Amino acid sequence: MDYSQLDKVRRSAVPLQLDAVEAFVAGRLSRREFIQRASIVGLSMASIGAVIAACGGTSTSPGASGAKTGGTIRCAVQRPVSVDPVAMEDLGGYGITAQSFEFLCAQNTSEPSGLSPGLALEWTPNADGTVWTFKLRQNAKWMHDGSAFTSADVVATMERLVKAGNSGLKGVLPAGGAVATDANTVTFTLSGGNGNFPYLVSVYNAQTLITPKDYVAGTKFNDRPTGTGAWKLKSYNQASNAVFERNPDWWGGKTPLDGTEWIFFDATGPMITAYQGGQVDAIVQFDVLTGSSLLTDPNFTLIAQPAALHRQIWMRCDTGQFAKKEVRQALAYTFDRPALVQQLFKGRAQVGNDHVIWQNYPYYDSSVPQRTQDIAKAKSLLAAAGVPNLTATLYAGQLQEIPDLCALLKSQAAPAGITLNVSTESLSTFYGAQWCPKAPADPPCSGAKELGIVDYGHRATPDVYLNAALKSKGIWNSSQYNSPAFDAAFTAFQASVGVDAQKAACKNIETILNEDVPVGLPYFYNYLAGNSNKFTGVFSSALGQMSFATTSKV
Amino acid sequence: MDVVVTPAPVAPMAAPPVSERAQARRETLRLLIKRPAFILGNIVIIGWVITALLGERITPYDPFNYFTIQQLPPSAEHWMGTDRLGRDVLSRVMVGSRDVLIVAPLAAMLGVVAGTLLGLVMGYYRGRVDDVLSRLVEAFLALPVILVALLTLVVLGSSPIVVVGVVGILFTPIVARTVRSAVLSERELDYVTAAKLRGESGRFILTREIFPNVLGPTVVEMTVRFGYAIFTVATLSFLGVGLQPPSPDWGLTVSQEYTTMISGVWWPTLFPALAIASTVIAVNLIADSLQSVLSD
Amino acid sequence: MARFISRRLLLSLLTLWLLATLVFIIANVLPNDVGRTILGPFAPQESVDALNERLGTNRPILVRYVDSLLGLVTLNFGKSFVSDQPVLPQLLDAMVRSAKLAGLALFITIPLAITAGVYAARRRDRPVDRGIVLLGVTMSSIPEFVTATALVVVVGVQLQLLPVLATPPPDADIPTQIRYLLMPATAMAIVYFGYIARMTRAGTIEVLQSDYTRTAMMKGLTPNQTMRRHVLRNALIPTVAVIAVQIGYLFGGIIAVERIFNYDGMGRTMLFAAQQKDIPMLTAGVILIGIVYMMATLVADMTIAWMNPRIRLDAER
Repeated sequence: MDYSQLDKVRRSAVPLQLDAVEAFVAGRLSRREFIQRASIVGLSMASIGAVIAACGGTSTSPGASGAKTGGTIRCAVQRPVSVDPVAMEDLGGYGITAQSFEFLCAQNTSEPSGLSPGLALEWTPNADGTVWTFKLRQNAKWMHDGSAFTSADVVATMERLVKAGNSGLKGVLPAGGAVATDANTVTFTLSGGNGNFPYLVSVYNAQTLITPKDYVAGTKFNDRPTGTGAWKLKSYNQASNAVFERNPDWWGGKTPLDGTEWIFFDATGPMITAYQGGQVDAIVQFDVLTGSSLLTDPNFTLIAQPAALHRQIWMRCDTGQFAKKEVRQALAYTFDRPALVQQLFKGRAQVGNDHVIWQNYPYYDSSVPQRTQDIAKAKSLLAAAGVPNLTATLYAGQLQEIPDLCALLKSQAAPAGITLNVSTESLSTFYGAQWCPKAPADPPCSGAKELGIVDYGHRATPDVYLNAALKSKGIWNSSQYNSPAFDAAFTAFQASVGVDAQKAACKNIETILNEDVPVGLPYFYNYLAGNSNKFTGVFSSALGQMSFATTSKV
Repeated sequence: MDVVVTPAPVAPMAAPPVSERAQARRETLRLLIKRPAFILGNIVIIGWVITALLGERITPYDPFNYFTIQQLPPSAEHWMGTDRLGRDVLSRVMVGSRDVLIVAPLAAMLGVVAGTLLGLVMGYYRGRVDDVLSRLVEAFLALPVILVALLTLVVLGSSPIVVVGVVGILFTPIVARTVRSAVLSERELDYVTAAKLRGESGRFILTREIFPNVLGPTVVEMTVRFGYAIFTVATLSFLGVGLQPPSPDWGLTVSQEYTTMISGVWWPTLFPALAIASTVIAVNLIADSLQSVLSD
Repeated sequence: MARFISRRLLLSLLTLWLLATLVFIIANVLPNDVGRTILGPFAPQESVDALNERLGTNRPILVRYVDSLLGLVTLNFGKSFVSDQPVLPQLLDAMVRSAKLAGLALFITIPLAITAGVYAARRRDRPVDRGIVLLGVTMSSIPEFVTATALVVVVGVQLQLLPVLATPPPDADIPTQIRYLLMPATAMAIVYFGYIARMTRAGTIEVLQSDYTRTAMMKGLTPNQTMRRHVLRNALIPTVAVIAVQIGYLFGGIIAVERIFNYDGMGRTMLFAAQQKDIPMLTAGVILIGIVYMMATLVADMTIAWMNPRIRLDAER
């Protein structure tokens, strides 16, 4: 243990950063968790490396050496529905806008769930995590007129997002909370202490890309193409593709490739055949069952990231056949989670324990026992609840593996006396008819069916899941879960800023959710993307933002 | 001794009496049975019908609840291999016939019944009724079946009932058109004029005189429609708006499995596709034989 | 002839109106939240309400109906709900692309099918005839998505002979465009070959058996002369009628084929619009298809009338 190195870092660290360092040194954080945690609280890469080295480890850094220049890469993506940076909600939109626009905090390419400097060079929290100071990059320029990127742009962007009710910033950043203290510094004063704030202005909160100060909310990206990033929009055809060319004024230097082309598809099948036929080089996201041939293709570089992508099998806790906790637990005991992981994802998923705290969150607590399939227990629970047999309709939307999940759940539940009738429909109809019907509007989602499956995308913190889906009167609370104990635990979690406090709060949350089972959560599956071996240096976030800035032809 | 011969009354040129018609039908049947195409078509269809009726009772494995760990190629245990979730393909193909053989014939019959009625009325009465209805029929014909079915199914949701209704309604104009032109040529013939002179009502002429004579083209049309119904339902399922998972419907299965063909997994796609093709071919063979025999 | 055409045009307008009404009814039969569909389930309610306001989806249904009709009459098809761009240019582009695909398919199919049909009819009930009929039945029984899938995997991926994505690069010359479109066109051509060949065969047989053919032969014309002067003209009548009606089925087959080959024609555009409930796009698209269909039938009927004077005179009565 190299104490001198360690002390150097300790002396310059602010309390929250120190907390992370100490937790790592004491072994309460794994190396990966430390990199993640430390990068969030603003410890520089150099310091992180120094701490790891001081404790006898080696930290990997991405090599960048003599890359070939020239060429274009073509990638396949689901057709974007909206490319309005403030309001977009689909992976196609996220990926395309992230080619030209950038975030304060970028993805750490060597530790995918960590952060690294983007448009912000460094960030520092105060002692209780209520005020965050971001120092901005000075040499970034706007593509549309060559003007310099300044703090005014950041403040304007944040105000726009708060006004639009951005789900990540809601309740965290109040209106007027972002202030430009000088041309290159922005101070964020939050509504309360939050140890994860940088995530919310990073690549993981996809709408927080920094747009120019005079950007009008509601403008589509292709109507006003601009940004500070590596790629300049050359042409955009909503029906077929988007073409980008190198931005010669990018602060990151000259990109090896000359340009990128994003080709739009309406289904995953044609994406796979297009790749196999040599007409696209990269795929933004695909599911295991459709793309299983890619997993074993030696010429394909798979980007498989564990992610918090999951499905929630909600059960109404207030009325209907699942109102009793024992019935919900019984259904959860019929899930054969490892089998689901194997059949639906060929192993590329992590088993879930009926709560939304993903294993890779730094504050995940593993002490809650993992629920496994136990038909006998399910039967006894049902008997205790007085319903030895039950028949219910399982509603779901047609998205990726969800219909297959329904088929598997049906056959897994049958031996316990639970008969599930599967009813699937198109996604857009499903959301409005079964999951959260417009009426009755108060409480939200009170018109939801008693049993259904809904999909959730990746989030870097579980705040959104906890707040919207599980808190009483949450806007996406289809199970109508209403537990004062849970609400209190959630509030405690939000208020905690140190590593230990967060872990303790999470343990509480996990225990409560695992016991009450308002939603069954069998797995968190990996985000799959990839590219042909003809290219190297392709990175992707779990939200469809594929980065080609360091990509080159092999 | 002179035998007084009373000449039998000259029968008006009406439709041939019933017994003659029955004899004609038997003759037609005899001719049909001689044609190998007809026999072959019927064997295939009856085979599928039996499979559909017996369903899970004769499948080697449970098509919905039996899963193998890995995807297996065709072998002695699994004649058609297993699909991407590990279910036996042969069992699913067998049970998949049920959905198709219920939905498609119902849709075809709906179209044919409605279309025949419409065509009879339009062709016989002509005049304003015909003009108005013809415009409606043309409007429907201008719409591509798949597109309207797609649109309606997306809006109303794709339950089997809606599929039957939509496809049936969309077939009606085509049948109506065929029946109408058949009626148009029939109504000029002498026996119709004779019937009118006799004072028969329009309805009587239509049902007792004209209809039996257009039965030929109508039957052919019905078999052709049946083939198209299978075709259309399979395509709609392929596009995702027909039958829904976890139904083992053939079109749906092809859409879910075809991307694995490149890694050499051809069996979950090929067999359902062959099933679709075999059914439609069989129906078309029957239709073709009927057409040949009836038009002689 | 002029009366014939003008009458047909008037009736066509009536049909178009019916078409527009039909689409409007289908698209609006269920209350659906357009704003919510566009923005997705996770968007805040305020944005959804604002969007609905902007698109005018909250107005009473009759107002919206009249509005859409007025728009069609003035050829203002409106803006797409999804992309907020005018609908017509995108649809016309897609129409042209689909027309190229369909055109290539018909170009491959029609000469082959007609030849096969006539050939089979002349050798009726002999093995060649039976063979052609069987081939025709088989080919028209295999749905386009099956042949398209097989072609994609075998020719496109395994053998890498032809490109899997059917969209040619912009400014490609004709041979390149044909190369890109060959696979999807073949998938469609296979189905129509069977149907057209059998139709031609049936028509030819009927004509060959008729009185005037026998008269022609008795007059001393050789079989070939008979063929050319009398038989072909009359036999092709049902075929031409069929080809026009097939536009409807052609379009249906195109949807599946375009999806598999990711080709940006009318089929794929309509599919996407239906899924997104993009009503302006759908209405305009269906109207355009209807117009094409009506022009095709008009041309077909005129051709038939030209070929057979009796029908022409009858129509004018």
